[in-house]
This record gives sequence, C-alpha cells and structure tokens, in this order.
Amino acid sequence: MSDGLARLAAGAGLELDWRRPDEAAASCPEAEFADRVTELAGSAVLADLFATTATGPAQLTAVLQLVSDPSWLLLSAELAGVTFPSLTPRLHAASWYEREIFEMHGLLPEGHPAPGPLRLHDWPEEHHPMRPRAGGVARLPHPPHVPKWPAVTGQGVFQFPLGPVRSGPQEAAEFHFSSGGEDIVALGLRLGFKYRAIERLAQGQPAERALQLAERLAGTSGFANGLAFTRAVERALGVTVTQVSEHTRALLAELERLHSHWGTIGRLAESTGLLVGAAQYGLLKEEALRAAGRLTGHRYLRGALRIGGLELELGPSARRQLRAQLDGWRERATGLGRLLEDTSTFQDRLDTTALLSPEYAREHNLVGPVGRASGIDRDTRRDHPYAAYSEVLFDVPSRAAGDAAARFQVHVAESTQSLRIMAQLLDDWPADAGPAPAPQWHSGSALGWAEAPGGETLHFVELDPVGRVARWRARPPAVVNWHPFAHACGSGNNLTDYPVIEASFAISPAEFDR
Amino acid sequence: MSRWLTRGLRSGVRTTRFPDPGEAGEEGAASSVRLRWQALAPAQALVAARDCPTTAIEASGTESVGEMRFDAGACIMCGRCSRAFPEAFTAAPDPRVSVLQRDRLRATVRWSAGEPLAPAALHEVAVAVRRKAHRLFGRSLHIRHVDAGSCNGCESELQQLASPYVDLQRLGLFFTPTPRHADALLVTGVVTRNLRSALLATYAAMPAPKLVVAAGACAISCGSFAGGPMTVGPLDRLLPVDAYVPGCPPTPQALLHGLLLAIGRASERANVLEEASDGA
Repeated sequence: MSDGLARLAAGAGLELDWRRPDEAAASCPEAEFADRVTELAGSAVLADLFATTATGPAQLTAVLQLVSDPSWLLLSAELAGVTFPSLTPRLHAASWYEREIFEMHGLLPEGHPAPGPLRLHDWPEEHHPMRPRAGGVARLPHPPHVPKWPAVTGQGVFQFPLGPVRSGPQEAAEFHFSSGGEDIVALGLRLGFKYRAIERLAQGQPAERALQLAERLAGTSGFANGLAFTRAVERALGVTVTQVSEHTRALLAELERLHSHWGTIGRLAESTGLLVGAAQYGLLKEEALRAAGRLTGHRYLRGALRIGGLELELGPSARRQLRAQLDGWRERATGLGRLLEDTSTFQDRLDTTALLSPEYAREHNLVGPVGRASGIDRDTRRDHPYAAYSEVLFDVPSRAAGDAAARFQVHVAESTQSLRIMAQLLDDWPADAGPAPAPQWHSGSALGWAEAPGGETLHFVELDPVGRVARWRARPPAVVNWHPFAHACGSGNNLTDYPVIEASFAISPAEFDR
Repeated sequence: MSRWLTRGLRSGVRTTRFPDPGEAGEEGAASSVRLRWQALAPAQALVAARDCPTTAIEASGTESVGEMRFDAGACIMCGRCSRAFPEAFTAAPDPRVSVLQRDRLRATVRWSAGEPLAPAALHEVAVAVRRKAHRLFGRSLHIRHVDAGSCNGCESELQQLASPYVDLQRLGLFFTPTPRHADALLVTGVVTRNLRSALLATYAAMPAPKLVVAAGACAISCGSFAGGPMTVGPLDRLLPVDAYVPGCPPTPQALLHGLLLAIGRASERANVLEEASDGA
C-alpha cells in the first residue's frame, strides 16, 4: 500500500478502499467531485476520466496516477441527473474526456466551453452509443451548437480541406487548414470516421473473446493494448502469471515497439523527401515484423495473449534466432539514426517544427514519445513496472525542446533501449515452471496498463460473475495525444510542414476513434 | 547525401521476386487458414465453432452427424482453431490466398455417421472477365486506397508494399492520390457509418472501367466488428468487388497477389480446402 496515496487521500478527506496494493478506490458526493479531482490533480496526474451507465446508476470515475509512490486512485461519484459540473475550466486535461462522456453517455458537463461531439457525425441527438436504450431514460440534454471548423476569416485567408480520403495508403481523418498563403493560421481537426464502437461491442462478451477486440484497437499497438486489457482482467480475477509468461510478454511488447518506432522514423524520413532513409527503415520494420511472425505466427502478434498467460511458448531455438538478430539491428539502427541527425535536409525540416512547450505538455498530461519530447519524464514501464520490466535495466530518454526533432530523437533512443531490454530478457530467460492454472471466473473490476509504442495505455475492465465484460473503458495514448495536435500545427508552421508534423506525432486515428 | 547513396548501395538488392514461383512465403506468417476436411471429426468442428470469435467457423449437429461452414473471409487469424486441431486447420505461409469470388472463400463440410462427405463443388472462375481486365489494366495499374474503418494494421502492411522487400512499382503498380487517375479502388476496414459517403464518393469519382479490391477480413466480412452499431459493411454490400484478399491484416505479398489477380496477371492458387495428400 502506498503511503503517498494514503496521505493524499487523508488530506482530501477521502476514505480509501484498497483493492490491490497499488490500486485504491474512493467515492465522494456528486457536488464535491469537481473540487476533489482538481485538488488531487495538483499532486497526482489525471490519467483518465470516464462515465459508466451500463451497470446501474450513472457514475463518473477519475483515474489519478501517483508517480512518486507508484499507485492509482479511482475516484467515483454517482450522478442523480444527467448533468454534472464541468472540470474543464479549471483542468484543461479534462476537456476531451468530458466531451466523450457527453457524446457517448449523454451526461452534460455544465460549464464546458465547447462540449460538442468528437466521434459521432450526423448521429441522432437523443442517442448515445454507450448508454443503454432500455429502461425509459429521461429526455437527454441537446448539445449546444458547435461550429464544425474554427472560424478564422479575413482578407486573404483561405480554407484548405484535407481528408478523410487522403493521398497514399493513410488512415481516415479530416483536417481543415485556414491559411494566409503558406502559414497555417489554424487547424480544424475532425476525427471519429473510424469509430467502430469497440467498447460497446465488447459488452456482454466473455473476456477471452473481448481480448481479440482489444488487440484490434489499433494495428501497430495491438499487443500493448491487448496486454493492458489482459492485465486488467487478471488483476480483477486475482490471477498471477508465471515468470516465463511475464518475460515473453515484455519481449513481445518491445518487439512491437521496435517495428512501430522504425515505421515512424521511416515515415519521418519520407515526409522530408529522404527516400533512401525511408527505404532503410522499411527494411528494418519488415525484418521486425517477420521476426514477430516467426515467433508467434502473426506479424502483429495477435492471438499470442491469453488471460492468465500466453497461447504460446518461445522455444530455445526461436529465442536464439531472435537474439542473433539484435546486434545487427542495433548497429544498423544506430548508424541510420546518426546519419539522419547529420543530414541537414532532414534536420532543417524538423527543427522548431510543431513546438509543444513543457508547460503545455504538462497541462494536457501528454504521454509517450510526444510527452517525453516535451520534457515529461514518465514511462509506465519504469514508474509502474509490470511484466518483467522490473528485472531489466533501461533508460527513459526525454528531451526538453518539444519540436519534431526532439520527437525524432526520442523515437531513435527508445528503439535502442528496446533492443537493450530484449537482449537482457533473452540472456536471462527463466526456467519453465509449467503451465499456469486456468483462471477462475468471478466478478470484479480493475485497472490494467501498459506502455504502448505511442505511450501509456490504460484499460479499466469490470466483469460480471461469469467473466463477461460488463464495462470496458480503453484510454489508449492517442486519446490524449490528438488533443494538442491542432495547437502544435497552428504555432508558426507552414502547410509544407504538415506531413512532418503528422509523422512526428505518430498517432493513429483508429486508436483514438476505437 | 553521398553517405546515403553508399548506404543504399551497400544494402544490395533485397527485393523478393514474388510472384515468380518459388519466391513465396518468406514473410514469417500466414495470411489465411486452410481447411483439411478429411482430418476433422464433427465433434471437433463443434469445439472449433464454439471457440471461433467470428463467423469463420459455424457448425451444427452431433458427434457423428453434422455440418460445418468454413469462411476464410471472416477469419481474423486468431489461431484458436489451428492450435486446437493443427491437422485440420493449417496456417500455411503461402501468400497466394486471394480469390475473385466471395464464395471461393467458403466451404461446407458434411458428415454422415462420422464419415465426411466430399464438399460441394466450387464455383467456376469467370475467365472471360479476367481476360478483359488483363487487356485493360494488365501492364500498369493505378490504385486509390480508401480506409473505410480499419485498425491501421492493413495500412501498416500497405505501407510495406512500397518498402524495398516488396517494391510494388517494379510490377507497374502505383498508388495514386486522386481517384480521377485511379483504375482500382483498394478498400480496407469494416465501412463505418461515418466513412460510407466518403467511400461512395471516391468510387463515383473514378473513371470507368474500374476495379474494386477488398483487403482484409474487415472489408470482406466485417471480421470482429460484424453486427456492430457503427458497421455498415461488408464492402460488397455497397460496391461490386472484383477481388478479395483475406487476412487480418493481409501480408504485403498477399496484397500484391490480390492486386495482380484482379488484373489477370496472377491466378487463384486453389480454394480454401486443402487435400490431405497435398503434402503442403
């Protein structure tokens, strides 16, 4: 149990219910919720804010993360009506969470400056996808009118729409530039095209089956999201996992980070017109994907996870084969990273592009390489160790500059660290202790987390007595990191910088839309 | 710049010769599951159907009499069936899995008194249509990709098509940013409510004659998301589809085979059934 969290709760007058040594729950009356969360957010990080309407009375839950003394606090408040006082005027990081609560559950944050929808386009106003239809719900509040795009008008300002069908094989999202010619004056962002209602689809499914939805939340972070979901279910059931499984999970998660990061760096090289660089990283990414395919039978590691362990074992020869590749990869990736740093046509495009100041990043609680490039030194692998991460040595690279160049450097440095972690795991492989017993299904709820390639992913899962999903809330890193995107584009960049900006953020619309 | 040149040259030629014979299956993983129906008992079919997360395996009947419907177009490669019954469900890394007709991905196996009956005959391929497509597009094809609600797995593999390992341009295939210049529409994803009109507008903007390729389990059958409140697919409910590329996601070589198949430059290897004597 965490002393820091106990002190914090005592200061706020909250009674803690310790569900696990590192996870406590507390509740407070609806009227006090906003004050309590704002107060706690001074010393803890507001990692998520979500509503639950599927399993009883409507309820708000704030997830607060204590880094100094690793622990999580889930603060909940039951709502009597369909409105609640908005946190956004005092806590900017709550803004998009509250918009999502409104569109998905029909609970209106009163006092929110712009509570319009993020994901739903042309959707009947009274219907909210996550809210159960049955049971005679009272008439829900209608959304205040929100303009579709930021209105920047004036002489010489023209509008330039892009998407949802864009050039090349890219994901669907819509961008609306206001420009005076070269500069981006403002960017309007429209996401939600790919909203597949994953969390809603999972409701009522056995957790083992819902896992394949978690793995398909986003292509290049499927394993990390699947792992966070699996861990949430395992924590809810009180299942412990064998050491071999923990090692394998960490190894596969790092392999996913490698192919994802190498893909990101390759796209950055491509965005500056450096095609040889893009091709070189394309080779590295393909080799990592093939290694994943040989190890697990799936290039994106899908189907490898199981609640309580893994579906597969990595034999000694498979491990040796992977270990033999690591040194060559490190040598090539380090050389290429250095070569990119020395290439002026590449660096000039990245320097001071899409600046995010450390203050801005802190205010929005940014995660992953985007946050770490703006001075936020946080990484769940180090701060809240899971799988086998407490048994290996690694650095968490961070930069203070906050531009595209810093994000590039963080990606390069992180891929080197991933190789370092993989080598340690493979060199110190634990003895097989036999298969883990099958999990005993019962009701429960818990938080699970993992460090996806794009940053911290947080999954809250509530199970019913036979192990079906009653409520699943996924907060992948894209939910946090799309928020500053428009701001970063608008701060003194040109239209030609746009491909560089998007590549440097490395966030997927699918992971946001879900 | 000269350092980049020497580095590029030092890497040598890494490109596969696929679709030339003998160059397939170096990608480390399979794009589709094939069925050896002789090696499956009805009781096993019932278990496989229970564990299948999509509609790829559906079975009815008892321990000795029954029927199993297998649909490789709905398979998301979760591996449950091939781990439980490796003799019957095989994930062979041959990327030549694309087909021209949706039914070619389906098979029905029936059992009577515990003995399997030979599966129903499969549809003939419309050869004449392929010849015409070959004449029109056989030399070069410009492809417009539309993401209709994927997980980004398909896009990640599509981006690998341009990597030196696959290099689709050596075959005269190009991605084009504008639908006005496109000969083929390559669609990934389940077709969400929010992307339906963008997809149809892109198709309408393409000049005739035009081909449509459905890539991945989502585009073919909605995969894991079938029946979801936001799913309006599968694709062939909205547009006429010329080739189906199964996989979750399809591997780069599988995508390449699907594109070449659509323009008559490759042929269907076989159907989803694999004879036990095949030796594969």
